[in-house]
Amino acid sequence: MEFRPRNYSAEKQAHALPRVRAGDHPLSAPSSLPHLQVEVVDHGDTEFFDPLRRSDNNAEAAREDLVDIETSSGAGLSSEASIQNPSKEWASFKRSLMQRFPVSKTVSTSSMSDVMVKGRKTYEKSSTSMHLEELDDPEKFAEEGGKVITGQEYVSRLHELKAELTRAWHADDRVTSLKISIKVARLLMDTSVLQCYPTLFALATDILDMLGDMVWERIKLKAEFDEDETKFCFLPENFSASDVCSDAKETCNNWFCKIGAVRELLPRIYLELALLPCWRFLVDQPLDSLRRLVMMTRGLADPLASAYCRLYMSHCMRKLPSHDTGCLLTCANDFKIVLMRVISAEETSHGNLSDNKRLLVGLMEPTIEFIMKCIFKNMSERQVGDVLIELGLGDNQVELFGRFPYVSIVLHHLLKQLPSEVVSSRAVEILRLIELSNDDSFDQCLNYRLLGFRLCERSQIDTANAVVDKAIQVIVQYDGLDEYLKVADAYVDIILQNHMDDHLNSILEGISKRACSEEIADDEMATLQSILVKLLSYYKDLEDIFSMNHFLKILDLMYGSSRSIVNMHILDIGIRNGCICDPRTIQFLLEISQALHQDENFGNLKDDTNQPARLISQFVSLVDYGAEMESQLAFLVECRGYFGGIRGLKETLIHSSNCLAIKALKDGNRHLGFVKSCIAFSEVTLPSISPQIRQLNLYLETAEVALLGGLISHSDGLIDSAINSLQILDVLDGSRTPIDADGVLSSIQKLFSLLVMVPGNLEHGVTYLPKNLVLLLNSQSWMTPRMRVKFLCAIVSLLAALSQQNLPYHADNGKLLGNDELFFGDPSYLHELASLCQFVLQNLVDAIQQEPSMTARGSMALEACNCIASSLILSQEISSICSKLIETGKSCLSTNNRYLQSTIQFIDHLSHSSVAV
Amino acid sequence: MSIELKLSRINRVYRPSEVVEGKIIVRSSSSISHYGIRLAVNGSVNLQVRGGSAGVIETLVGVAKPISIVNKIVEVRPSGKIASGTSEIPFSMNIKQPGEKKLERFYETFHGANINIQYLLTVDISRGYLHKSLSTTMEFIVESDRADLLERPVSPEMVIFYLTQDTQRHPLLPELKSGGFRVIGKMSTLCCLSDPIVGELTVEASAVPICSIDMHLLRVESILLGEKIVTEQSLIQTTQIADGDVCRNMTLPIYVLLPRLLTCPTVLAGPFSIEFKVAIVITFQSDVAKVHSKSDPTTPRLWLAMESLPLELVRTS
Repeated sequence: MEFRPRNYSAEKQAHALPRVRAGDHPLSAPSSLPHLQVEVVDHGDTEFFDPLRRSDNNAEAAREDLVDIETSSGAGLSSEASIQNPSKEWASFKRSLMQRFPVSKTVSTSSMSDVMVKGRKTYEKSSTSMHLEELDDPEKFAEEGGKVITGQEYVSRLHELKAELTRAWHADDRVTSLKISIKVARLLMDTSVLQCYPTLFALATDILDMLGDMVWERIKLKAEFDEDETKFCFLPENFSASDVCSDAKETCNNWFCKIGAVRELLPRIYLELALLPCWRFLVDQPLDSLRRLVMMTRGLADPLASAYCRLYMSHCMRKLPSHDTGCLLTCANDFKIVLMRVISAEETSHGNLSDNKRLLVGLMEPTIEFIMKCIFKNMSERQVGDVLIELGLGDNQVELFGRFPYVSIVLHHLLKQLPSEVVSSRAVEILRLIELSNDDSFDQCLNYRLLGFRLCERSQIDTANAVVDKAIQVIVQYDGLDEYLKVADAYVDIILQNHMDDHLNSILEGISKRACSEEIADDEMATLQSILVKLLSYYKDLEDIFSMNHFLKILDLMYGSSRSIVNMHILDIGIRNGCICDPRTIQFLLEISQALHQDENFGNLKDDTNQPARLISQFVSLVDYGAEMESQLAFLVECRGYFGGIRGLKETLIHSSNCLAIKALKDGNRHLGFVKSCIAFSEVTLPSISPQIRQLNLYLETAEVALLGGLISHSDGLIDSAINSLQILDVLDGSRTPIDADGVLSSIQKLFSLLVMVPGNLEHGVTYLPKNLVLLLNSQSWMTPRMRVKFLCAIVSLLAALSQQNLPYHADNGKLLGNDELFFGDPSYLHELASLCQFVLQNLVDAIQQEPSMTARGSMALEACNCIASSLILSQEISSICSKLIETGKSCLSTNNRYLQSTIQFIDHLSHSSVAV
Repeated sequence: MSIELKLSRINRVYRPSEVVEGKIIVRSSSSISHYGIRLAVNGSVNLQVRGGSAGVIETLVGVAKPISIVNKIVEVRPSGKIASGTSEIPFSMNIKQPGEKKLERFYETFHGANINIQYLLTVDISRGYLHKSLSTTMEFIVESDRADLLERPVSPEMVIFYLTQDTQRHPLLPELKSGGFRVIGKMSTLCCLSDPIVGELTVEASAVPICSIDMHLLRVESILLGEKIVTEQSLIQTTQIADGDVCRNMTLPIYVLLPRLLTCPTVLAGPFSIEFKVAIVITFQSDVAKVHSKSDPTTPRLWLAMESLPLELVRTS
């Protein structure tokens, strides 16, 4: 057996593809990409098969299909989306309503809710036997007094009612359907269950909406189909009452008559609202009915019931084709009057009652929120003026925000919905209005806060100075930290954008003064965090932050997760600009990192997405002491002490210390002692690295560094450790995934390439390490045949390389003696290599036969064949091995397989040339 | 074997000058031979005294003679055979022959407590003496002819009303009397049957919180019984206008739909009359009221304030 002599540098030149300077960076903007692709295909080098550059015909066709689908579905959607959107919005609004006011455990139902309590009984009765008297006479149950049922029962009873209604409707029992609907609508009269009312509302209106839809469909059916179910007319989307036949009109009229006969005002309004769109079958102006209903709602004295009734109204009116803001405005104004009554009543009562009022106002809030949203939807700026005057905010267009107070909760939601142009152009007036409007319905400071946030929506505000001046004047008067922070938070962005450093300073001073005098509560901490994060995201450099007065003082007052979040932002800024060289910054960031590390909430995160750990690692890796390498190593040692617990950080430390060693090596030989210290640091840190594969890689990295530094004893030791860690690999982890195995394999291949440079150890024999590895291979049960083949091929290549007169590469630019200079020409050396090679070849052939998959076995055989043929001279023995491998390849792969063909060509070429030689 | 009448109009409403059309549907497993299919139309005013201002004796002898409006029979088919299965026999008949001398005015259908104005259609298939004849009856509803309708337009004028502690003719709770209240409004009192009663109402002041404001629709039926007129007033429908202590000085709309069948145009005939009234009743919050929760809402009570307005109902085209 004889190794093939190779001239690596000549071969490299012969096989290298011609290099051409690329016009574009391959990862730069892909504008020229299609053009480039075409060009590449044109070259059409069939010999060179690139799997990533397959013909794209299929993909192109698929993409066209996709576009087709998108356009066709898009056309359908666009017209439908406008209709569906409000209903989706309503559904999500109802959901949020129920989440905001969850049903309490028990509900005491008052007299009205006999449907709830008697529910089960009525349910068991057949629907036809339900007597209207039961509905007409709620007082019958009054004597029984309040009953207590669980919230869950309450909700499920409503679901039952819905199911009952559906059942009755599908059984064509309209009378029962109507009766159930009236029952449901009557439930809404009971506002004694304050906390439950929103849930009740959501569930009940769901049922009423369903009824409304069913009635609409039924009448529409009557208008389009006759008794024999043949279509005699088609109602267009915008049909008018004259298009509707008299039978359908009769049915529709009947429904309204039935509803009109309901005695109580509230259920009558709700039911008519549910059927509101049906007015279109009778008249061309359904808005007249809506206007009447708006007025009728004034007859509901209960503030909560009337508020939610108006909410349902603003939902139902969106089902009409024409929009009328006037009705909404009346609703909003009436709401305001009711609210003013509630608030003024509060003044007369004392004590516990005021809590109840607060709850009441809270429950009413979502309704005005929704109404305001509806008012300002799709409104032009020109209309806004009229609307504001209608809402009683101003007398004329010039002075839209008058000089008299407004109910602050209504103002809040108005402010929320106002177009941002109006907010920014009228900011000063709005500020004055907020100042005037200070009642118990809503916290004034939250309106100041909202204004600030609304102003931030626009990049440029003309009156920024006046607004901020005023806002600062306001907050200066606040004694409490909470209010101060809430308002300040909203204006920080404006202050930063307009470079109002004085104001910023005064705010920070105000915060630190108030924060020092009282304990910071959790929600205050959150606001404080928001302010500081805004500051931090505005500044680019840590220096700016150091130069801010009070900033560090405030930071010191913070604690808990907010503190950690701010710390993370600081750290993020710190590492944003690459290397960190300034010792003061390093010290500061180190302290920040320590604080972050000590926070329990973050320290316990054990996953890879652990943001603080990632930031700390990045910080450590970016620290650069420049020429003071000793200090940097000391820093690394310090970090190991502080952050040893952080997963992955030790890897960073080892990388850093290895980099440091390389840096020292580049600087000349005078730092050898320092390099040794670095290697020693890595060596000490290495054993505690936990994932074995990472440890293995770090051992290899450190060994390479040691080798470069000429520290052969260190590198030998490290390689030994690497092999040891390989040996215990599977003991630690039984369930290895294939990706892991590939990683291990490539690490092993890396080890072999490292071994090319390692001088043979005379004490143990020159092939000591490769031999060890072969033995290791046989002891590793987890290795698949494929990995074994790759492993063995790598050994063959290694042995072939070691036999050369000139090694393909040397450590440390050849200053360190390699095996070529040590042993080349020594027959015993060659013999030792050859005998190991012999042994390996046998193993290789066996390993290939163990692979169960045909295709895999085929390509493995070809791979081994290529490896052997390029490593060894094709003697009789080797040729027979090669031809056996090709036979295996032929039996496993199809004859036109490209790899097979090129391998046969390659072997033919070699055997011809060897004959020629 | 079954027999059924089906009219051409689902709502079964016809005017006297119109032709009543429909189908007689006979379902039978075997064929039926008969001696003719006859259709009878019968309209009458039935008067009965059940209570009200009538005395015991009047109640006993209270059934006044019914007043016949129309009564005629037509033959739809001469004697013959009806095949087995489902057979549909169409018919059409004039209730009022143009030249015919009329017995009585065609009053509109009305179902009251003492007065019933009803139009019935009866089909009869006689099958000789051996078999029971097949028959069924159906009510149809008569509304006034266009020709008989009011020529003058319904005037949009409204009657203004007001309720204070001083307008009440019954004793009030002391706190109501001393605290005072004032509710004003206006309402249409001449009303078209197909339109709602409209108007508005405003609570200007009330010292005692209001519990509810309701509109009670009442019918007043009078029957001439011998020398005496027996009048009965009954509640048809209640419609709430205000629920709870509503805001002062806010205008609330009055909008009351008139229930069909229970109302008809106001009739002032010789032997009987049908009239309507609206009572506006304010219920004030009071502990006394809770004890008497089931009493008739139109009976004067200490915690109620009320105002009745006559209501003339007319049929317009």
